This record gives sequence, C-alpha cells and structure tokens, in this order.
Amino acid sequence: MLAPAGVWLLLLFAVPMGIVVLVSLGRTDPIFEAVYGWHPGNYADVFDPLFAPVLLRSVTYALATVALCLLIGYPIAYYIARFGGRWKTLLIAAVVLPFLVNYLVRTYAWVAILSDEGLANGILQDVGLAENGVRFINTSWAVIGGLVYGYLAFMILPLYAALDRMDPALIEAGKDLYGNRWQTFWHVTWPAAFQGVVAGCVLVFLPAVGDFISAQLLGGPDTYMVGNLIQQQFLEAQNWPFGAALTIVMMGFLLIWMLLYVRSATRASREASA
Amino acid sequence: MSAPGWAARLPLARRRAERRRRRGFDRPRFLLAFFLLFVVWTFAPLLVVALFSFNSTPSLQNFEGFSLQWYDEFFSSVTLRESLVASIEIGFVTMIVGTVLGTTLAFALVRARSRVAQASNVLMLIPLVTPEIVAGVSALVLFTQIGMDLSLLTIMIAEITFSISFVTVIVRARLATMNREVEEAALDLGATRIQTVRLVVLPALWPAIIASALLIFALSFDDFVIAFFTTGESPTPLPVQIYSSIRFGVRPTINAIGTLMLVISFLIVALAVALPRLLGRRGEQNVLIGGEAG
Repeated sequence: MLAPAGVWLLLLFAVPMGIVVLVSLGRTDPIFEAVYGWHPGNYADVFDPLFAPVLLRSVTYALATVALCLLIGYPIAYYIARFGGRWKTLLIAAVVLPFLVNYLVRTYAWVAILSDEGLANGILQDVGLAENGVRFINTSWAVIGGLVYGYLAFMILPLYAALDRMDPALIEAGKDLYGNRWQTFWHVTWPAAFQGVVAGCVLVFLPAVGDFISAQLLGGPDTYMVGNLIQQQFLEAQNWPFGAALTIVMMGFLLIWMLLYVRSATRASREASA
Repeated sequence: MSAPGWAARLPLARRRAERRRRRGFDRPRFLLAFFLLFVVWTFAPLLVVALFSFNSTPSLQNFEGFSLQWYDEFFSSVTLRESLVASIEIGFVTMIVGTVLGTTLAFALVRARSRVAQASNVLMLIPLVTPEIVAGVSALVLFTQIGMDLSLLTIMIAEITFSISFVTVIVRARLATMNREVEEAALDLGATRIQTVRLVVLPALWPAIIASALLIFALSFDDFVIAFFTTGESPTPLPVQIYSSIRFGVRPTINAIGTLMLVISFLIVALAVALPRLLGRRGEQNVLIGGEAG
C-alpha cells in the first residue's frame, strides 16, 4: 500500500529537489542551457548587494503579513469561537468563502480597485478629495495588503480550531478569580490559543515568503520579492543555475519553519490514532 | 480545609458570570463591528469584479449599463475556451489519480510504525508546506532534465504530486477515528481482507474520499503557479491565460472570467460540503476544518 504513492513522491518530489541542488551548482553555456558543474559562486551571487535587498524585503513583507494576519485574524476567530453559538459553522464558512476564489482573481480584484484608473481613484475624484488621483499601486503597502488578503484564511482556521476547543468557563473562572481582562487573556486564553497561533503563523509565513503574484500585480520592480526574482531567472533571463541557487537558499531558510509544522502535524496525527 | 469554602462560593461565582453575560459585558460590541467590517472587506472586491463584468463599457469607475458582451467575448474566443477545457481536464485527471494514490497512502500510514512508514509520513507532509514556486521550479527542472516536452501532461503530473498529501491527510484523519474492532469483527466473521475493506472500511470512508477528491479538483483546476512553470505553448490552463491578460492591463473580459471562476469554485465547494453529508449519514465532518476530524 505504501509503494505507489511513496514511490511517486520520492521520484517526483524528493528527486527533483536534488536535481535543483545540482543545477544550482552549475552554470549556463552560451545558448543558455544549464550545464552541471561545481560553481558555488552562484550562492555568493545570491547575497550580492544587488539581490540581498530583495531577500531582506521578502522576509520583511512576509513578517508584516504574518503580524497583520494575526492582528486581524485573532479577533475574528475569537468572535466566532466564543459568540458564534449555533451559527458557528455558517460564520466560519462565510469567512472562508472569499478565500476559495482563485488567488489570481482575488489579487486582480484589488488591481481593479487600486489601479490609477481604478474604482478607488474614480470615487476619490468624484468626491473631490484628490483631483489628480492617488498612487495606491506599486507601493509596499499594496503588496503586503495583497498578501494579507491572500493568506488570511490560513491564520483564521487554525486559530479558530484552537479557540473553539477551549472551554469558555475557563475565561469566566479567570474573571471570577479577580483577574482583569488583560490577565485573563494572558494566563487563560493565550496559552489555549498558542498552538493555533504557531500553526497559523507558519502557514501564512511559508507561502508569503515565496509569493510573486502580489508583487507582480500590485507592485513593481521596487517591491519585487525573491519569488519574482526566481520566476525571472527561470522564465525570462534563462539563468537557471542562479534561479536554482535562489530557490535553495529560500528553502534552506524556510526549512526550520517547515520542520516545525511537520513535527506538530505528526504529533497531532499520533494523538488522533492513539 | 479550604474546599468547603470554594464549594460555597461556586454558585455565587456562577451567578455573577450570568449577570455579566446578561449585561453584555462579555459581548463587546466592537468585536461585532470588527467582524462586519471584515466581511465587507473580504467580499467587496469580489462583488466589484462581478458587478463590472456586466458593465456595458470597459470603464472600471462607472457602471453605465447592463451587458453580457464580456461573457460573449469569453465564449467566442477559441483560445479561452480551449484553456477552460484544459483546466477541467487537469482538474479531472489530478482528482482521479491523486485520490487513488493519496487514499492508498493513508491506508499505509494510518497504523504503520515502521521506519519506512515514518519517513514516508514526513515525505508526505513536506509538499503541504512547500511554497508553490519551489514546487513549480523543481517540476520544471525535472521535466527538462529528463527531456520531457512541456504540455498538459507535465502539468497534470506536477499537480498530482502536490495533491496526494491533501488526500492522505484528510482520509487518514477519518481512518484514525474509525473503530478498529469493527474491522476485526468482520475478519472474525470470516470476511477476507479485501471484503473487509470493501464492505466495512470503504463505506465509512466515502465521505472523506469524496471531499478530498473535490478539494484537489478545485485546487488543481484553480492552480496558477505550478501550471505557470510546467505549461507548454498551447493550450495553456485558464489561470495562466488570466495572468497573461492581466499583465497587459486591466481588461473587462478578465472580470467575466474571474466571475465565472468564482462561480465554479463556489459550486465545487458546495458539492464538497453537500455530497459527503448526503452519502454518509453518520460520517459527517467539516471539510474546511480538517483538523477537527477527531
């Protein structure tokens, strides 16, 4: 039973990762074909002053996205888990519904609203607030906003799962023991929500770091992330070794987060089957 | 010593909590306001796209009148129609192959404790947290290195690879909650292993299998990044087509395609929620919150 899918994943997931490592050590020949070799210099190029800011920007944007998702997602998950009553399932479905729409289409929706000829500028001009329009697009905030709008559901769902498991009587107990709101939150709710917070942060951070759609559609060259760089190397510049080196560096950076998730998922499934 | 004191205070505490709840102390109004704002924020952009897909002029600022011309443009374009068909084909093949592979893996992993099984478990979980661009890059590199031409087939293979894990996680969660004694009873009563699986295990498992099948159909039908890296010249899947038209600027036809994709996504999800409930009278479980299977 293990064999078919196990072999499939080994040959089509694990092995290709190995090939990417090999390519990242190669170089390109005059007709832009990747040739294997031993050129660790590709990795030095990744940290070149030309590209290092892009890496830094990716991490900054992703961390900002995680922070905003937590700030927005926590109250939403808390509200549904505690006050949803018998409408809980309906409310969580309503919250998740927009996130089931294609990510490109959702990002495009913001392009349609925020672009120079978009709806927001139309309204601003009609109202007379900004005669010449406002530049929303091509800013860091547009890109981060796109990421938050794209990945927020990954934060809300684990948070909701954790908060929903918590016994609300605990909060009342906390208050009865003369804890103020802050103390009750810090000693009762937060520890209960913690697992969900960790899961949510990992699940938002990972795709956000590798994203290139938001920066491509809502940003510009000044807001490009490492995903844009990788995409360019593979599909436009045809410098595969450098693109592969970028990919490996990104994976290496994300590996700790991924293992964190795998460990908690393994533990959860072991508890479920025990 | 202090126990009787506590017991005496409990009813008081409960009464106080009750009073607080009635006063609305625990139901801060700003949370409700925040929730409503949130719903507007998430739905409004999609409604804007849907509304302007019926606009009679290309403007995104003023709605001038109702028209179906952008839908007409979509359905009369051969390229776009072929893209839609290609995406459906990708979704369908991925659904069939991914579901079979993922379900067998779930069976293999659910109670296995061997080293190989543990290693496979980690190998199965990693694709779930691998950024899509890495998945796309590694698939592209693999296909070109083994000399395979990029086509719909390469997209399908790549999509299947990244859909197996979703099926395994969902089906295994259901398997783990099943009572093992029922299986043993069937075996004791003289059923063969295959009969046990067919007559006892699978009927209880169908809801989870169907839910995960529809989920991976939706994911692979919708997927852009992996398809973008592994697509051939033509036909290209619909999301890739959408991406290249967005890059040429905002165009009303995209509103129409976006609205169509939105409707298709909602339909599939409605099916994913409704079908398992219709089929499995007891095995209900919320697909959207897979972690809650326990």
